Amino acid sequence: MLAGEIAEPYPVVGVDTSALVAARLLASQRLPGLVVTDLDGSPKAVLPASEVVRFLVPDYVQADPTLAGVIGEDAADRIASRLGRATVGELLPLRAVEVPVLKAEDTVLELAAVMARLRSPLCAVVDDGTIVGVVTASHLLELMCGDPVP
Amino acid sequence: MMLAAIIVFTIAYVLIASERVNRVAAALGGAGVILAIGVLGTDDAFFSPETGIDWNVIFLLFGMMVIVGVLRQTGVFEYVAIWAAKRAGGRPFRVMTLLCLITAVASAGLDNVTTVLLIAPVTLLVCERIGVRPVPFLIAEALASNIGGTATLVGDPPNLIVASRSGLTFNDFLVNLAPIVFVMLVVFVGLSRFLFRKDFTADPDQVAEVMKLDEREAIQDHSLLVRSLVVLAMVLLAFTLHGVLGLEPSVVALLGAGTLIAISGLRPQSYLVDIEWETLLFFAGLFLLVGSLVKTGVIDHLASALIAATGNSLPVAMMLLLWGSALLSAIVDNIPFVATMAPVVDQLVGGQGPLAGQNGLWWALLLGADLGGNATAIGASANVVVTGIAKRSGHPISFWEFTRYGSVVALVTVAIATPYLLLRYS
Repeated sequence: MLAGEIAEPYPVVGVDTSALVAARLLASQRLPGLVVTDLDGSPKAVLPASEVVRFLVPDYVQADPTLAGVIGEDAADRIASRLGRATVGELLPLRAVEVPVLKAEDTVLELAAVMARLRSPLCAVVDDGTIVGVVTASHLLELMCGDPVP
Repeated sequence: MMLAAIIVFTIAYVLIASERVNRVAAALGGAGVILAIGVLGTDDAFFSPETGIDWNVIFLLFGMMVIVGVLRQTGVFEYVAIWAAKRAGGRPFRVMTLLCLITAVASAGLDNVTTVLLIAPVTLLVCERIGVRPVPFLIAEALASNIGGTATLVGDPPNLIVASRSGLTFNDFLVNLAPIVFVMLVVFVGLSRFLFRKDFTADPDQVAEVMKLDEREAIQDHSLLVRSLVVLAMVLLAFTLHGVLGLEPSVVALLGAGTLIAISGLRPQSYLVDIEWETLLFFAGLFLLVGSLVKTGVIDHLASALIAATGNSLPVAMMLLLWGSALLSAIVDNIPFVATMAPVVDQLVGGQGPLAGQNGLWWALLLGADLGGNATAIGASANVVVTGIAKRSGHPISFWEFTRYGSVVALVTVAIATPYLLLRYS
């Protein structure tokens, strides 16, 4: 089975998309992550949902988790408002990382190898530089391990 | 052998100071060469108090790191800092003052880097709440940490080195350094009011937000907190009772660490993560490099040169050490500097030395080295850590921004030390 045959349509966001829009997309469809494209439409990165959560947590709480309890519930809204002021590009790591992208003619094992190496929850599949779909880790597991238990 | 020792030491020192290679690699690499070419033998390196690794310093550092590793998990630092911010009513200058005083006191008992690592996240939280720029607060805390750390034997690594080399006790440090450090802190608070005067404007509506913080949530384990504080109090008491108990600080710290491990019930991974192995290895390498200079007689020559330069005058020697150390510590790490100078001063004030028994030289060396580190953003480890935290939190502190404030504080505090040394020790 080839990557192009199992790739599914998947939401894609640009680096200039609002971080809040991206977060709502992840939330509403319970997605493990999003494919992020550059301004020219080429794949730039995969944004895992966990990175968005990480952005929500202030740096000082990440440095000292004890402070999470000190702040209290009422600060949650204010913290979430940080997303409204940021773009998807600002959520990406500063250092360029390899993008999990494969060609449509690559095999399922190649897909698995890329996801494992990059620890990515999904992989974009391109044909002639255009994204034709995405394969998620859960979809890949379904294909490799058989049908879900009834 | 003397020439070889000087060449290896100089190369290693330049590499450490320039930070072109990792300082541990430079120190251990240099020590390796010293051992390989036979400047030092195994007896010199591992068993000699004059030329070998100073195990008292290594194990005192290790013991205190374990104690801090357990203590920080209790949340007591966060509790105290937030309590203080609330006591200050969220008013910026009062918040800065209390946070700086907490930092200074904590730095006197713990190492400076740990203290600023603990206080900086709370500071960012409080500053965000009251709507002020956190940069002045972070800079002030790094400066307070270096001043406070000067006060005690365990407050700053150079103090540990001097204590082990000189035989000065915990109480000697308290009696000779703590009073002047207290004066410096009072002056520092007043100076901060002036230096950061443009940064104390807060939104009154936001100030109330600080009062909503619940410091009690910071305490993770009340039982562990009580046990840890009891052990810490016993360790500090044992330090002060050195004359009665006859226990070296390193033994006290190890006993405290062992007791805390035994009664905390924590898994080793949780407190071992706070052990700075790199620092311990750096010290080991450094002691061997300096040991090679001691064994080959370089230190004797340096001591003679210092005496010649000062004309055997105690006041001149103290001023040279104070201001020279301050200047050098502003631009290079004060640990290797003090490690090198400690045997030199030991030659001068030791039993047969030309300034025998004049401990003022030790205090001049430490006051210069510890306080000089405040002058620049790279002068002390706490400064480097704070600028790193500030950058990660989106509030970068440039080298010159830190230096603009730090150099004033370093200059004023060393100036305060000047009459103190001259009046009390000459």
